[in-house]
Amino acid sequence: MSGTVLTRPAASAAGSAPPPRRRTLPRLRKQARPWLLLAPALLVIGTLLVYPLGRVVWLSVQDYGLRNVVSGESDYIGADNYVRLLSEPYLWQIALPNTVVFAAAAVGGTVVFGTLVALLLRTLGPVVRTIVISCIMVAWAMPAVTGTYVWIWIFDVDRGIVRQALVALGLIGADGVNWFTERLTFYAIVTLNIVHHGFPFVAVTVLAGLLTVPRELYEAAMLDGAGAWQRFRHVTLPTLRPVFAVVTILSTIWDFKVFAQVYLMPGGSGSNMEVLNLGVWSYIRSFGRQEYGLGSAIAVMLTLMLLAITIVYLRALFRDEELR
Amino acid sequence: MTTRAPRRRARRTGHTLAKALAVAGVLLFTLFPAYFMVVSAASVRTTSGTDALLPDALTLDSFRYVLFDAGFLTYLGNSLYVALVTVAGSSLLALFAAVAVARFRFRLRTTVLLMVLVVQMVPLEALVIPLFLQVRDLQMLNTLLGLSIVYIALSLPFAIWMLRGFVAAVPVDVEEAAYIDGASWGRMFWSVLLPLVAPGLVATAIFSFITAWNEFILALTFLNEDDKFTVAVGLRQFYGQFTTDWASVMAASTVVTLPVMVFFLLVQRGLAAGLVQGAVKG
Repeated sequence: MSGTVLTRPAASAAGSAPPPRRRTLPRLRKQARPWLLLAPALLVIGTLLVYPLGRVVWLSVQDYGLRNVVSGESDYIGADNYVRLLSEPYLWQIALPNTVVFAAAAVGGTVVFGTLVALLLRTLGPVVRTIVISCIMVAWAMPAVTGTYVWIWIFDVDRGIVRQALVALGLIGADGVNWFTERLTFYAIVTLNIVHHGFPFVAVTVLAGLLTVPRELYEAAMLDGAGAWQRFRHVTLPTLRPVFAVVTILSTIWDFKVFAQVYLMPGGSGSNMEVLNLGVWSYIRSFGRQEYGLGSAIAVMLTLMLLAITIVYLRALFRDEELR
Repeated sequence: MTTRAPRRRARRTGHTLAKALAVAGVLLFTLFPAYFMVVSAASVRTTSGTDALLPDALTLDSFRYVLFDAGFLTYLGNSLYVALVTVAGSSLLALFAAVAVARFRFRLRTTVLLMVLVVQMVPLEALVIPLFLQVRDLQMLNTLLGLSIVYIALSLPFAIWMLRGFVAAVPVDVEEAAYIDGASWGRMFWSVLLPLVAPGLVATAIFSFITAWNEFILALTFLNEDDKFTVAVGLRQFYGQFTTDWASVMAASTVVTLPVMVFFLLVQRGLAAGLVQGAVKG
């Protein structure tokens, strides 16, 4: 009873107060609206992507092992993890070359093959082109995990189709060859897997670019007596420079952080240290050997390399066009 | 004149033939793994690669065995749950965020957009260690919900990028007309904007679905009980157990691949555009 009496004046006071505020309130609400809409997404991205990114940097300067996972405490050791990492021959002889050389080969293969397919697609009639594009998409749609198993099966050491074909042709002996143990052959298979999975994106994107190049440019070049290669070199390449920049850089980013395609291969999950790249090495160091600090340092290194590539990417994208 | 015409025709035939061969080569290379996977799974005898290549007869035995006897149905259920939670969460959050960046001019807008773009480039290998500790602290290791929440975060940046384009494509006049008719902002959002961006929302939802369905490294780290595995991790388990039984591994792979392929072919047009133009268009 007394409660209602007490609250009523307060409520009416609140009701009578607004008049001077009323003019600013809608504006304030309008200003707050984008932030209210953004808030849930930013909260999720912040706590689950940005904060962990900060934490991995923090972990990389800690001595963080299984003991620390249990207790939650850790010891700050400064740059020790990085010093250890950079003085490890394994980084320079195995992990880094595996990452960089493989990425270079895979990106080169993906972009060159994708471009060739795009050039081929341009010469086709619309119906055939649509059919071929749909078929190409099947390769892109293949999940990394199942795609990798299919390639392992194709190259199976005992009963795989490639081995049987090579034995039948007399190119290898009846004992066969274990291509999964050798670094070079291991990564040749990974590269095949990645090029197969990655070229459709390049082909479709470059084709979209090719279709925007005015036909007159080619006709003029042909009148000047330019051959197919010269037309590509002097007309297509300069016109599509931004497109090539985007597909190359995106492919580079993807190929640097290849994980499942290496981890799932025989020996790729740690039993064959010869074949690990930076990502898989970081994972095995952390979760296999419980050296979370050192694993984080490797991960930070990988991220920094990708960040450098990303900056190049953003500059290529926004050179002319300002982000509005 | 009489000799030139046939020669030109011959050259043209040669040209067409070369082109047909090139197309056949490309198709062979692209489709072979998918064909080989399905045929290995469905062949009555998959004891070796050449046996599987051209099967004598087809059977669904491997599929039946994989799904009902080997427990792959559980993994499929888990993956479906995780994917649906991810789709629901990321579509809703991405829609709100996309409307904010596409329809409002506010301070720090460019900063937010750049952050969304850059955060996509962060390798999962760098996030897996802190995320593992974070999810462990929340006691959500080994739960499908914990995994789904992380997947929402993973699929959000790309979903926002894609939806932004779709929202921006809706003419502002349509919104203004709704206001003139006396609609509030909320009413305009639900009855005008939402139906118009629905196709974009479907595309975004499919990408989130594929992200959650295919993800491997986090599922591998977070889940360690057999009955909680998603398909990506379950398949690995499966491969370890049946190293010699390629028919089963390929049958399981086919089951995992099929829904992704169907969805992917539905939205493939949007993907390349989203990856390239989404970043370039204002």
